[in-house]
Amino acid sequence: MNYITFLIKSALFNFSRNKGRTFLTSLGILIGVMSVVLLTAAGLGLKKYIQTQFESIGTNTLRVIPGTAIRNGQFQGGPSSIGTIRFDEKDLRTLTRIRSLENVAPVFTKNGKASYGKETKFADIYATTSDIFPVLNFTPQYGKLFTRSDSIKSSKIAVIGPKLAENLYGNAKDAVGKNLKFENLNYRIVGVTQSKGGGGFGGPDLDSLIFVPYRSAFSFNPDKKFLTLAVKVKQGQSIPRVKKEITEALLRRYEEDDFSVFEPTEILSALNSIFGTLNIALVAIAAISLVVGGIGIMNIMYVTVTEKIKEIGIRRAIGARKTDILYQFLIESVILSLFGGLLGLILSFIIVFFVQSVFPAYIDLPTVVIALGVSTGIGVIFGVFPAKKAADLTPIDAIRYE
Amino acid sequence: MINLKNVYKEFQLDENVAYTALRNVTLTIKEGEFSSIIGPSGSGKSTLMHIIGLLDKASRGQVLVQGKDVKRLNDDELSTLRNEFVGFVFQQFNLINKLTVLENVLVPSIYARKKLKYDPYKKAMYLLERFGIAEKAKSYPNKISGGQQQRVAMARALIMEPKLILADEPTGNLDTKTGDEIMKLLGELNKKEKITVVIVTHEPYIAAKTKKQIRIVDGKIV
Repeated sequence: MNYITFLIKSALFNFSRNKGRTFLTSLGILIGVMSVVLLTAAGLGLKKYIQTQFESIGTNTLRVIPGTAIRNGQFQGGPSSIGTIRFDEKDLRTLTRIRSLENVAPVFTKNGKASYGKETKFADIYATTSDIFPVLNFTPQYGKLFTRSDSIKSSKIAVIGPKLAENLYGNAKDAVGKNLKFENLNYRIVGVTQSKGGGGFGGPDLDSLIFVPYRSAFSFNPDKKFLTLAVKVKQGQSIPRVKKEITEALLRRYEEDDFSVFEPTEILSALNSIFGTLNIALVAIAAISLVVGGIGIMNIMYVTVTEKIKEIGIRRAIGARKTDILYQFLIESVILSLFGGLLGLILSFIIVFFVQSVFPAYIDLPTVVIALGVSTGIGVIFGVFPAKKAADLTPIDAIRYE
Repeated sequence: MINLKNVYKEFQLDENVAYTALRNVTLTIKEGEFSSIIGPSGSGKSTLMHIIGLLDKASRGQVLVQGKDVKRLNDDELSTLRNEFVGFVFQQFNLINKLTVLENVLVPSIYARKKLKYDPYKKAMYLLERFGIAEKAKSYPNKISGGQQQRVAMARALIMEPKLILADEPTGNLDTKTGDEIMKLLGELNKKEKITVVIVTHEPYIAAKTKKQIRIVDGKIV
């Protein structure tokens, strides 16, 4: 029996004799650690989710939107952020003339009812051109994508996402050649895209989109305007330079505050910074419960010290130094706190395991290390005052205590 | 070995009430002695023992342990002396109930700062064997008799091979027969191992078994 195992054994015995009290005390730390770990896991999951969403869209692309909502990778508010202009076919031609651009796709989006027979689903329609496919990095899984000439004609043909196809036709493969009704327009499906994964939680569900030639959809876009111009930059071109080219081309017609040119990854970093800040705030609030848990430990440790005054006296009489007594009670409070932290961590893992079927939350190694480290730290910080009180008892007062 | 010179001990009971437990106590305990401090209850004999055993400090006067002035020792040094130099045996046995008999005997060795020349575990088993309680090694103190508990306390007092055993009413909680056995063991320790033994008691019958009696009444040696 060496010194440390001896101290641990002393502490564990105390817990086994006061099971209820031990559990209730560590419950405070359990709840604190669990809320911090779960919020961190949610934050990590959200970050990962956003990342995969944007990665699936592809790189080397730019978006042109009205207003100044995104500037220098940050979201901006204010009256100019939404923008008053809408792009039209003239702008489309302007951008198409820029040589460094591989593809220019105008996009008008609308959410509406897509139906086949009795099946109805809400879906986003992209009224666009065939250029949208390379920009968004979409490839056909079944059938084919519509072509440039289809885009110019107002052909009533559509390419849909595999999830929507499955929902409406039972099987993604069966959708090709079938009719699709979107609001009051009838389309014939020519292709189904490859799955992109993701979807849900307010993000764009890339597997449930409907792509149609924009001229076929003017009935719900009577102004013939576009909300977005999505472009793909040619290989080897510098993105900032291309951005400048686009801006200069559009400035001939619009004011600087009328539109923004940005990379989708700028939204990613903007979203990440917003959610990151939000997450830090939430974790900080949750950390308050850790402090409350620590106070609970301190309280119980004072009780324990009082209960053990006689024992402290005996130990001092047979040679324990002040530091020996200090360590004895510090170890006890650290074990108590660490026990709560471990339980909280285990519960968090269980909860995250079940949540993962709907949300990609996860607990990483730094979170585990920090959770255990913080639990230990709380044990030390809130245990040190009771332990100091125990150590500072004079041997004679302690041993005479009844 | 132990010298007390003009020692006073006062307790401040209240703001205005002080109680003097020891008055001008001067005594010497020589190495190898088997002595008793005898006096009625409230005479200050326990206080005297606590001062000799370094559990308490004198209010005034000088306490020398092996020539060293106790006042000049810090808390850690006093702890080390209690650990290595003194072995305590108490009236209430004062064992730690959550530890087994064997573990109780081993506790002082856990607090030892010096490297022991022997295996404390073997030493503990030897002592338990010698006191006839080896089969209780794994028992807990509250499961054994008072006499057995006092033997455990004696084994604990001896594990560090102290020079001095201080026994505070060691037979006080025991029947006469068991008490006599404990006294016999203490006598043997003195005789065979030359350990200095000081017993505090209020019973002349117990004091008579020692070779030197120090009488104390109202805090004064008489």
